[in-house]
Amino acid sequence: MIEVKDLTKTYGNIAAIEKISFSVPKGTILGLLGPNGAGKTTTMRILTTSLAPTSGKATVAGFDVVTAPQEVRKRIGYLPEVPPIYSDMSIMAYLKFVADIKEVPLDKKANRIGEVLEMLDLGKMSQRLIGHLSLGYRQRVGLAQALLHDPDVLVLDEPTRGLDPKQILEIRKLIKSLSGQRTIILSTHILPEVSSTCDDVIIVDQGKIVAADSVENLSQRLAGGKILDLEIKGPSDEVTKAFEKIDGVSAVKSLGRESKGVSKLEVSTDGTLEAREALFNCVVKNKWVLYQLSPVGVSLEDVFLKLTTKDSAL
Amino acid sequence: MNSRKLFAIVNRELGAYFSSPLGYFVLFVFFLIYGLFFWMICTGSHAATMQYFFANTMFVFFITTPLVTMRLWSEEEKNGTAELLKTSPLTIWEIVIGKYLGACCFFLVMSSVTLVYLTFILVLGNPDLMPLLANYLGYFLGVMAFFAIGLFASTLSENQIVSAIISLVILLGLWVIGYAGNMVQGPFGDFLKYISVLSHTEDFFKGVIDLSHVFYLVSLIFLGLFFSVKVLESKRS
Ligand SMILES: Nc1ncnc2c1ncn2[C@@H]1O[C@H](COP(=O)(O)OP(=O)(O)OP(=O)(O)O)[C@@H](O)[C@H]1O
Ligand SMILES: [Mg+2]
Repeated sequence: MIEVKDLTKTYGNIAAIEKISFSVPKGTILGLLGPNGAGKTTTMRILTTSLAPTSGKATVAGFDVVTAPQEVRKRIGYLPEVPPIYSDMSIMAYLKFVADIKEVPLDKKANRIGEVLEMLDLGKMSQRLIGHLSLGYRQRVGLAQALLHDPDVLVLDEPTRGLDPKQILEIRKLIKSLSGQRTIILSTHILPEVSSTCDDVIIVDQGKIVAADSVENLSQRLAGGKILDLEIKGPSDEVTKAFEKIDGVSAVKSLGRESKGVSKLEVSTDGTLEAREALFNCVVKNKWVLYQLSPVGVSLEDVFLKLTTKDSAL
Repeated sequence: MNSRKLFAIVNRELGAYFSSPLGYFVLFVFFLIYGLFFWMICTGSHAATMQYFFANTMFVFFITTPLVTMRLWSEEEKNGTAELLKTSPLTIWEIVIGKYLGACCFFLVMSSVTLVYLTFILVLGNPDLMPLLANYLGYFLGVMAFFAIGLFASTLSENQIVSAIISLVILLGLWVIGYAGNMVQGPFGDFLKYISVLSHTEDFFKGVIDLSHVFYLVSLIFLGLFFSVKVLESKRS
């Protein structure tokens, strides 16, 4: 549905994005994750035809954003970083305006506005002046605007910004429910957003893609099940010594001794199942008791920091 | 040019004037000045003509034009609503003409007060209608040319004050150049006089419709809109 190839945008001699390539199949939700200034907004502005790329190519539903921008615009709903709303209009007047410029068929206009108001829980406020709304409500009006013409593709730049926790959950649910026929790209700094909403994730940093995968794969690939958490009933020193001799174990770190002779250990392995078996056998052989053996899941947060931070201390 | 989209933009633009204090301020000051002119010129000349009236209001528009047009694009850029317009299925011409017509509609509202004047003259005097028509034509074309320049200035900055200053400078430039033309001899002086806006509205106010003046003012309107479109197009790259 969305194809991006070697997309580059330079400002003077600074590259906001450099040779970015990715594709989003129909019906998937892609999360663009990256620190401030990574190039998320720039990528989205190019996809939505508000900015022309310096080089490279991007197509939405088969239409090139540079050579067929009007076709792209008809199919795309865009929530920019700052919701594009007029503070002097009421929500209703604003949505009517948007329906007109986005070619919502006249006979469906009123219905569609009603649906979108319902979806975003704005029904009761429709006559309120946008300038008098709270930040979160403005964001919702911005979302309503993006959804109004029922586009095939949604591009949402930090869609949950400014919302309260309850709203965040509701909007995420809404976004999930919108996928299916629709293809969605959203950007965020909030990691749980990616793991809870997105199918795929692209991590960008300084204008380049540093990782791209499905959400599951990415956290697994980087964690790799290499680090194991163990709880063992047995003398901590002896256990440590015995484990260090096992093939495939590179380091054993004691996490302190709990009551009743239970020690907690963190064991770094080569990630194979054989290493886990050897650990288990070693425990049995020494007649210790194994309470727990579990791989430590590295959260997306760790992955994110690892990939976007040069500091090796992390 | 899609009429539904165009109308939506014009309507939104006109609405913006009536939902901001600036719109009412401009109207208020404008009506005040009109009233003053009306009273002074009527009591002074006792003539059933609007010639002096319109000639003088052109000067008022050197100041009011920037006030009316400065927000046209600058505000969109500042509020981030430019993103909405740029990513909706609108052509840049639709956006520019919609905004321009919106401002022109506001100008019509401003000008409604001249009908009071017109009524007085028609009821109390016995004026020739053709000169009145020429007066109105010159007034509309002249101010519309000013507005096109103001719209162009507005596309140049996201700061409304800066936009206002740019349009003021261009408009005053087009005025002062006429004086410069009077001082310079020969073809160059004639050229400067030709460029000057007021040299092209004078005849209308004397009651004459000269097509060369119509051509000049319409060209000025077109140029203002054309360059606005070019500036907005360049912003996409
Ligand atoms: N108009 C511009 N002129 C010059 N540089 C720009 C311009 N717009 C963006 N940049 C630069 O491009 C880079 C990418 O910006 P972008 O807004 O895409 O980042 P982002 O990932 O959206 O960041 P954030 O998370 O803070 O929103 C930044 O270094 C920014 O300074
Ligand atoms: Mg951004």
